[in-house]
Amino acid sequence: MSSHDQDPPQDHPEDHARSTSPRQGEGASASPRRISLPIVDEALAATETASGAVREQRKYWRSIAEKEGSPKLAAAALREFPPGASELPEVSRRSFMKLFGGGAAAAGLAACHPSDEQAIPFVRRPEEVTPGNALHFATAYGVEGYGRGLLVESHEGRPTKIEGNPDHHDSLGATIRYEQALLQGLYDNDRAKQLKHKDEPLSWNTFLGQMATLAGRHAADGGAKLRFLTDPTASPLQLELRKRILEKFPKAKFTSYSSIAGDGAADGLRLAYGKYVEARHELTRAAVIVSLDADFLGEGPESVRAMRQFASGRLPGAPMNRLYVVEPALTVTGMSADHRLRLRAGDVAGFALALAAELGRRPGFAQLAGIASGGHGVTAGDPKWISAVASDLIKHRGQSLLMAGRRQSAAVHAVVAALNAALDNVGTTVTYATPLLADPLSGPKALAPLAEEIAAGQVDTLVITAYNPAYTAPADLKFDKLLARVPNTIYCAAYEDETAAVCSYIVPAAHQLESWGDARATDGTISIVQPLIAPLWGGHTDIEILSAFLGEGDLGAYEVLRRSWAAKQATVPGATGEFDQVWEKWVGDGVIVGTETTPEAALTLDGAAIQQGLGALLAAGPKGGGVEIAFVPDYKVLDGRFANSAWLQELPDPVHKITWDNAALLSPAMAKSLGVEVERDNDTFSVLVIEYKDRRVHAPALIAPGHADDSITLALGYGRTGSESVADGVGFNAGLLRGSDAPWFDRGAQVSLATGMHLFGLTQNHWSMENREPAIATSLADFENPRSEARELIEERRAALPTIHEPHDYSKEQYKWGMAIDLGKCTGCSTCIVACQSENNIPTVGRDQVVRGREMQWLRVDRYYSGELEDPEVIVQPLACVHCETAPCEYVCPVNATVHSDEGLNEMVYNRCVGTRYCSNNCPYKVRRFNFLDFTSETPAVRRLGMNPEVTVRSRGVMEKCTYCVQRIERKRIETRVAGRLIEDGELKTACQQSCPAGAIEFGNLNDLKSRVTKAQGDERRYDLLHELGTRPRTAYLARVRNLNPELAKG
Amino acid sequence: MLWARTPYARAMETPIEQPLEFDHRHHTRDEGIDCRYCHNTVDKSSFASIPPTQLCLNCHSQVWNKSPLLEPVRKSFIDNKPLVWNRVYKVPEFVYFNHSIHVGKGVGCVTCHGRVDQMAAVEKQTPLTMGWCLECHRNPEKNLRPVSEVTNMTWHAEGDAEESGRVLAEKNDVHTRTSCTTCHR
Repeated sequence: MSSHDQDPPQDHPEDHARSTSPRQGEGASASPRRISLPIVDEALAATETASGAVREQRKYWRSIAEKEGSPKLAAAALREFPPGASELPEVSRRSFMKLFGGGAAAAGLAACHPSDEQAIPFVRRPEEVTPGNALHFATAYGVEGYGRGLLVESHEGRPTKIEGNPDHHDSLGATIRYEQALLQGLYDNDRAKQLKHKDEPLSWNTFLGQMATLAGRHAADGGAKLRFLTDPTASPLQLELRKRILEKFPKAKFTSYSSIAGDGAADGLRLAYGKYVEARHELTRAAVIVSLDADFLGEGPESVRAMRQFASGRLPGAPMNRLYVVEPALTVTGMSADHRLRLRAGDVAGFALALAAELGRRPGFAQLAGIASGGHGVTAGDPKWISAVASDLIKHRGQSLLMAGRRQSAAVHAVVAALNAALDNVGTTVTYATPLLADPLSGPKALAPLAEEIAAGQVDTLVITAYNPAYTAPADLKFDKLLARVPNTIYCAAYEDETAAVCSYIVPAAHQLESWGDARATDGTISIVQPLIAPLWGGHTDIEILSAFLGEGDLGAYEVLRRSWAAKQATVPGATGEFDQVWEKWVGDGVIVGTETTPEAALTLDGAAIQQGLGALLAAGPKGGGVEIAFVPDYKVLDGRFANSAWLQELPDPVHKITWDNAALLSPAMAKSLGVEVERDNDTFSVLVIEYKDRRVHAPALIAPGHADDSITLALGYGRTGSESVADGVGFNAGLLRGSDAPWFDRGAQVSLATGMHLFGLTQNHWSMENREPAIATSLADFENPRSEARELIEERRAALPTIHEPHDYSKEQYKWGMAIDLGKCTGCSTCIVACQSENNIPTVGRDQVVRGREMQWLRVDRYYSGELEDPEVIVQPLACVHCETAPCEYVCPVNATVHSDEGLNEMVYNRCVGTRYCSNNCPYKVRRFNFLDFTSETPAVRRLGMNPEVTVRSRGVMEKCTYCVQRIERKRIETRVAGRLIEDGELKTACQQSCPAGAIEFGNLNDLKSRVTKAQGDERRYDLLHELGTRPRTAYLARVRNLNPELAKG
Repeated sequence: MLWARTPYARAMETPIEQPLEFDHRHHTRDEGIDCRYCHNTVDKSSFASIPPTQLCLNCHSQVWNKSPLLEPVRKSFIDNKPLVWNRVYKVPEFVYFNHSIHVGKGVGCVTCHGRVDQMAAVEKQTPLTMGWCLECHRNPEKNLRPVSEVTNMTWHAEGDAEESGRVLAEKNDVHTRTSCTTCHR
């Protein structure tokens, strides 16, 4: 047993230094004190009386307890790690093993002594492989029908890191959380591995034989009882296979289904334009953006590009865009808003109509008055707010953009289309194109007709390639029971999940990184999806299963795909010449240039149709009293398909910082009226019982500042009961409340307190920086006034501090590494955290350990609220080691395990570290992470394949932290020095920088005066975090500037 | 501690038996084959790769193609099963050594691997301790040679090795590094 097992008192020297501070009530064993929300009471009272009072200097708070100065939290802040962090875990070895997938581990004892290790060369080395050097392959991945281009790093045939494809329209080189975590889905021991028919193992050939028999039987009546249930897709090959299957089985039917697809947009635009069209958004041209419950920065196929485009308009000095957001619960988009109006999801329609009516009263917008009158007086929102937005929109006619969210009804989408048309935005910020998706409707409502057919016994064979419908289907359809009644169900399963349990044939699905296929970007650009590795457990793709019904199942997906494209070569502009060469280029580039589709030019909005249609649509919407329940796709597990990724489960939710859980989000006022109680450090909340129609779930509450009153937001994708061991037992299944008539939100829920409390693994209070004001946000007006308080603050935080020592001169070095993070661009999406985790082999620790503050992510994204509890402003701040030039951690290390490099990197030498943790104690930024337990040696062999071979895997008792991706620096250094040149600006990127959709992070050589990072650090908004400590951090921040509407600016 | 640094403890000067009687003496001295013909990633990658079976057969499909000594090689190629060699040089997993930069800056093969051209079975010639690495990283001059001579087993500096090394360091743009993260990440 090593010395790290105990937590000796000298562990926290800081505690000794503060021996006079109150210690009572601290520690895990202390009985929890109930705070029956006096905090909230007082805060509410304060906000009522505070109007008119002199506003204090902006003060940031991360949680309600912190806002109100909970004594307990203050005591906790004195400790380096939360109570219990240093104690041995109660978690049983079994559950610990479960987290890591439970494989036997071979001890990798490193020694200089030559071991009996063997060296095994290739028999035939592929031409492109240089052992030791990684290769990158282009492919694409998409979950909502569209594909986003990826570049995947491969070490000797093992994919090890996902990056975006810079040439791809929707990626621009960046990725989103899920994509970064794809490797975990690939190297997952829980995956379905065996082809089965009713628990009997089956070979692929036998399966094909049985499918041929089935197909033959269905061919007799034209496939009248044959049905296909697929994910929404725009893949040209899938569309072609569909067409061919329907030619062979004219009476068969395909249904596209995803529980998170919204059908409002398709129906709304059809109402407005008379046919199905898809909206495409171009944010670079938008000066004013109004989001009506549209989380366009946080989710959806356009989000990665939207973040880049949005961020490009957030720089003072150039014309800035202005973002208005109307939404019930804070989202990534809401956190970036200049003005945010909290409104229940069901009231957003009223807001849209009120905005249309307001514009209709202005000269030149009479047509909107007519449309608004179709709403029969349905209205919501603050008239002053609406009037200000309307004026701003008129001022920026032709340069504005309104967007409605996926949850919103056709009515809202139709009104938004009318607003965009009236404001001359069509053709500039928004265009409409013929739908690329196979079926325009693919949401929960699309599933109902299939359910009816099954119930009526009209389906004999159902082929399911959609994700887990038994779990995701609206509860009232009782789809799992229906599936069990279909004689032949063929399920292409990633895992033996809820759906696999009720299907007769289970075909293990090949992971997307093991598959051949094709995909379309949101602008129509086609990408060939190529595999990075042969299926680890012999999985098969949906293409192969569909081909089986055409008698081509034994061809393999590659052959089917290649034949299809060989026949279509002539349709691709510019693709002339030998097909083999054209094909190589398509696959290699990851995009087929020239395949984008053009938006429709001649569309006319049918205002009268909208006016007439609105009444019926609004009548179908939520009405009456009672609490509103609203569902959202989860930021981490989406609809549940990523639930088995520990990286994503442990990723703090971008807004609420929840790990390993979902919650019933509600406003402070609503929490008060329900009597929600809060315990511990504001991380333990009452459990609620939510009843809606004949359904009920138990859900732990989480008080969410900025949430609309009388509304509860529930994230989908949790409460899984399949065979996925990581997802097992995490959160509750909000989908059990969902109905197919109102899949996104409805009123009339009954909410009451259940017995018991729920402890969340919240990271928002971990790693406190002791109330020093960390993130700076200011308004454009203040920023442009050189004498404003904000400017003075920024000036103060960048000025040179007096020092006794002459600072070390780094200007003679070839490189002086530095980073700049632009808070004006950062949306808080948290992709960087997963990218860092993947690049640097950072372990996950599990829920129990997160509760103890032992999470290991090197990079965190702090979320600070400011202002009123009910309606706060938000700023996010990514923070990893800032590589101080005078690093406090280095002074206190007794063994020189953390030292400075000649180029200014704060280096961590794992082999020297003995685990005193003094460095972490002395780090004012709280960015050091300690391996309290051996989080890595149990990693199953298959998951090890995905680890970065260029980064040491750390063991127990070792401190670690951000290295500025030093492995990338050294690789690039060697590569360029062998070539006899210097590293050019932009050719070296850290993992966080490369993954960042917004482009908020710059990294490079500060000695290069032309480098982007030098320019960024010279920006007027630049300031240093905790500047007053004189640490001379190499990571600088650029203050966020809010482009406030003077009509709405407070104070 | 002292014992740990003895050649014995460092497993130096102990010929390692291999599954195949491959003789470096014959290939490099008698036939004059350059090191990089077989270890052909040494100037491109961290790893000086062990040649794939196919590379052996570039010659041995023509010469000695009936030799019983080469039966394992032919078998490997036909069965598509790699030859398994016993490793001679190995640094621990937390050390990231890179061949290409050393070869590219004029550190000869012989400097670390010794006179492989005189070894019947290859043996480790250098201790591979961190102190040994740093010795050169602090004063690389006497171990430098023109890049064109890196595979030459018998090259010697004319005159003062340190002096010629200084000239070469300048010419080859040699900047040895001693920061921890140069090798440990």
